[in-house]
Amino acid sequence: MTQFPILSLIIWVPFLTAVVLLLIPSKSGNIVRLLSVLGASVSLLGSIGVAFNYDKSLGGYQFREGFDLVPSFGIRYDLGVDGWGVSLLLLTGIIIFAGCWATWTLQNRHKEYYVILLLLVTGVFGVFCSIDLFVLFLFYEIAVLPMYLLIGIWGSSKRVKASGPFRFVYELLEVGNKEYAAMKLTLMLLGGSAFILVALLAMYQAAGGNTFSMETIGRADLPVGLQTWLFPLVWIGFGTLAGVWPFHTWSPDGHASAPTATSMLHAGVLMKLGAYGVIRIGMVMLPEGAQAWAFVVGTVAVINVVYGALSAMSQSDLKYIVAYSSVSHMGIVMLGAATLSVDGWNGAVYQMFAHGIMTGLFFALVGLVYEKAHDRDIRNMGGFAKVMPGVAVFFTLACLSSLGMPGLAGFVAEFLVFVGAFSKVPWWSLAGIIGAWVTAVYVLRATRRIFWGEGPAEHFHGLTDARGTEWVALVFLGACLVLFGSWPRLVLNTIDLATGEYLSRVVDNVAQAIR
Amino acid sequence: MNLAPLTLDLLLVGLLVLVFVADLLLPNGQKRGLGALTAAGLAILLGASFFLRLEGTAVSGAYVTDGVALFLKRVFLAAGILGTLGSIDLIDRRMPQRTGEYYVLLLSSILGMSLLSGARELVFLAVAFELMGIPLYVMAALERRDGKDVEAALKLYLVGASSSAITLYGISLLYGMTGSTVIADLAQAPLSPLLLVGIGTTMAGMGFKLGMVPFHMWVPDAYEGAPTPFVAFLSVAPKAAGFAAFIRLFVAGFQGEASRWSLLLLIVCAGTMILGNLLAIPQKNVKRLLAGSGIAHVGIMLLAFAVGTERGLAMLLFYLAAYVFTNMGAFLVQAYVAEGAGSDDITIYRGLARRSPTIAFAMLLFLLSLGGIPFVAGFWAKFYVFMAAWQAGQGFLVFMGAALAVLALFYYLRVARQMYIEGDGTEGAMLPLGLPSKLALIVAISGVLGLGIYPRPVVEAALAAVHQLMGA
Repeated sequence: MTQFPILSLIIWVPFLTAVVLLLIPSKSGNIVRLLSVLGASVSLLGSIGVAFNYDKSLGGYQFREGFDLVPSFGIRYDLGVDGWGVSLLLLTGIIIFAGCWATWTLQNRHKEYYVILLLLVTGVFGVFCSIDLFVLFLFYEIAVLPMYLLIGIWGSSKRVKASGPFRFVYELLEVGNKEYAAMKLTLMLLGGSAFILVALLAMYQAAGGNTFSMETIGRADLPVGLQTWLFPLVWIGFGTLAGVWPFHTWSPDGHASAPTATSMLHAGVLMKLGAYGVIRIGMVMLPEGAQAWAFVVGTVAVINVVYGALSAMSQSDLKYIVAYSSVSHMGIVMLGAATLSVDGWNGAVYQMFAHGIMTGLFFALVGLVYEKAHDRDIRNMGGFAKVMPGVAVFFTLACLSSLGMPGLAGFVAEFLVFVGAFSKVPWWSLAGIIGAWVTAVYVLRATRRIFWGEGPAEHFHGLTDARGTEWVALVFLGACLVLFGSWPRLVLNTIDLATGEYLSRVVDNVAQAIR
Repeated sequence: MNLAPLTLDLLLVGLLVLVFVADLLLPNGQKRGLGALTAAGLAILLGASFFLRLEGTAVSGAYVTDGVALFLKRVFLAAGILGTLGSIDLIDRRMPQRTGEYYVLLLSSILGMSLLSGARELVFLAVAFELMGIPLYVMAALERRDGKDVEAALKLYLVGASSSAITLYGISLLYGMTGSTVIADLAQAPLSPLLLVGIGTTMAGMGFKLGMVPFHMWVPDAYEGAPTPFVAFLSVAPKAAGFAAFIRLFVAGFQGEASRWSLLLLIVCAGTMILGNLLAIPQKNVKRLLAGSGIAHVGIMLLAFAVGTERGLAMLLFYLAAYVFTNMGAFLVQAYVAEGAGSDDITIYRGLARRSPTIAFAMLLFLLSLGGIPFVAGFWAKFYVFMAAWQAGQGFLVFMGAALAVLALFYYLRVARQMYIEGDGTEGAMLPLGLPSKLALIVAISGVLGLGIYPRPVVEAALAAVHQLMGA
């Protein structure tokens, strides 16, 4: 039976759009923009189609397609999505669609920007659809590398006053500059991929050395000893991208320097890619290893939650606040993963989904505010709600979701994770809740500082609300936030399907090992 | 005598003579066609290598054309084509009176490599090695502009000559131990300290050519001073030839002692990877940077060779094929960009993405390929080598190699940063490229992308070739 290769369509349409963009002259501004949005829409519609047509009564991998790439090594272009893949695909579609709209007002070399952005998203889609580990790794690298140019060319620098005995190191590395952030991000993430590569080769070899298929390797029952040392490799490798403490330091610098749509995509989707890797490859394929390391993973995740929240609280730069809040929220994802329980995993995946949309909205708003006010320091702001009421409303909405307000997407996820954590290690849950409380403090404080309160100051009187195309991303993401918050079953059902299947495998394996 | 296995080499000799005679007949100032003739001839030979039946032995078994030899010959021919095409414009501009010599020397060097790839006898091997090496010294000295050129040429010559002497000394020791110059007979020699010394000195002598640590000192200086299009050739083809000699000597001759020399090579390989990268990181001169990166790449190739498995060797062959397009491409871009700017400093790339987006993109592709990023040739090369090494149980070196590959991206990205991020649009335009240079870049780009997107045929050819050598 040959069915329509919808996954390939979703993956490669952005790529083709990028190629087409390269061929048309860059002077045709709006055509470039329209084409990019069109390409992103096709992928979005495709991922919605996948979400609707995914047969929940069957579960497992669906929409399979593929062909042999290098048969002598067992490398196969093998695509398919499971319940998790469906939701993450949908998330990626939503974010890239919004991201293309959020980039609309970019003037400087906008064609190149769209080209690189679409290339990057090709990689992200690819990772979520790949069943072959090797192809997954290929797509992973494509998703990471364009970031260097996106931040390096279009990013913004923050003036850092170097002082103290290590001043010269700061100056040498150009800390605070976009080039520094871009290089740091790229090297750290690719350093992570070196870990992944080693783990991947080890799994391949241990499972017989003739296939990279996640299904086959996952069923291969790798020796427990091997699993226990492979798991940390996968955890650190993918975890670097997921912002796991202490490998998160690229994230604040990177997100703060990155241009709007890049931050949206990176915090919204790419960090999820890391978490997906940890859970799907680390935990599902190395169940005994995951069991052995679960406590460490969970404890580090708790550090992530609390440390990220406290760091966010002490920042006055708007972008750094949102960036550190991402670190904190990704901690919740990892915490859910570490529980190895149905609620925890459902919560983790749903948190990826919810946080992706929320942080996408956040960065879109921050970008907008920065673009208009040319300032990111919240201490200088105040009373912006008077001049930009629309932006204020959406910002508040995102804040409420961030602190886990019921009725918005963030609440469902965090609730599930804390329930799962409580059943496993009760104090994890407690620490997580403290983190959530600190989150409430800093997001509310930031909102009050920027939009409500005194002001706006004299030179901010000329600010305007969002206009024209700027609305699209905000309204679209805001609507998604409410929709999935009030009706979580839309994606949670599919997520649950995959969770059940994988978790039973993990639990069976561990039970067997104990026996 | 069966000459069929030598067909390709004889045709090369024919081409060489043709170019030589044409050089004598053409009046000065009209020799531009010689380059085209050389490139076309090499391209025809490369095409012919796919249709002729060449396999077999010749010269009483001293010479063999098997799968590995054929694979390597194609690599040399491809490097020759790229080297010729890439040189035409610059030779024309900078040393038109030397045109004839340049191509004749290039061809004789390729002839030496081609013979080397099939040598099964020590003397044959040594002679072919010299035939490859001596023209290179002359080529480095062809253009005398300033002290640096002379220094580079002299360094290349002195190091090359002494390394040849060391190789010959090692070979004489091997002969003394076994009483035979046939490499296959070495396998029967009883293990003795003297034999090990012989193996060691031969390896050291050849290691000079490869630029493996600790014999790498000459590489950056020679690269910096010599004419860049020539360096493009120098940085790739002799390395491939050196590995050809390694394969012939060690795999056929010393398989029994594999555990000993492979341990030595693994240590050398670790050192080469580390030092090469460390050398490249602080460089501001792009040619020196690429020299460091080249040494690091030799480290990875050594890893593939030293694991000694069938897969390892096959992946070495693939790596060499990928490396031809990648590294030569990078050096050619460097040659063109530097030609307009009159310097080799990294800042000549400033704002290149605006001045000349195609060239900048080409350079980006080559850099990414050197760095081992997917969908360009270098990724598969590196990945395959790591995979082979992992299967042979060299997990530690794989890990080190992967970590160093990330480090290497740092200096590759520094060039990318100059091209894409720096610059304010005030930089001067690039010199327009002539047709041959464009063609060379197109060939290099198609090679890098072709091997990156669809590596399967080359991988399978390499596997089959090595299986024929080591299997059964």
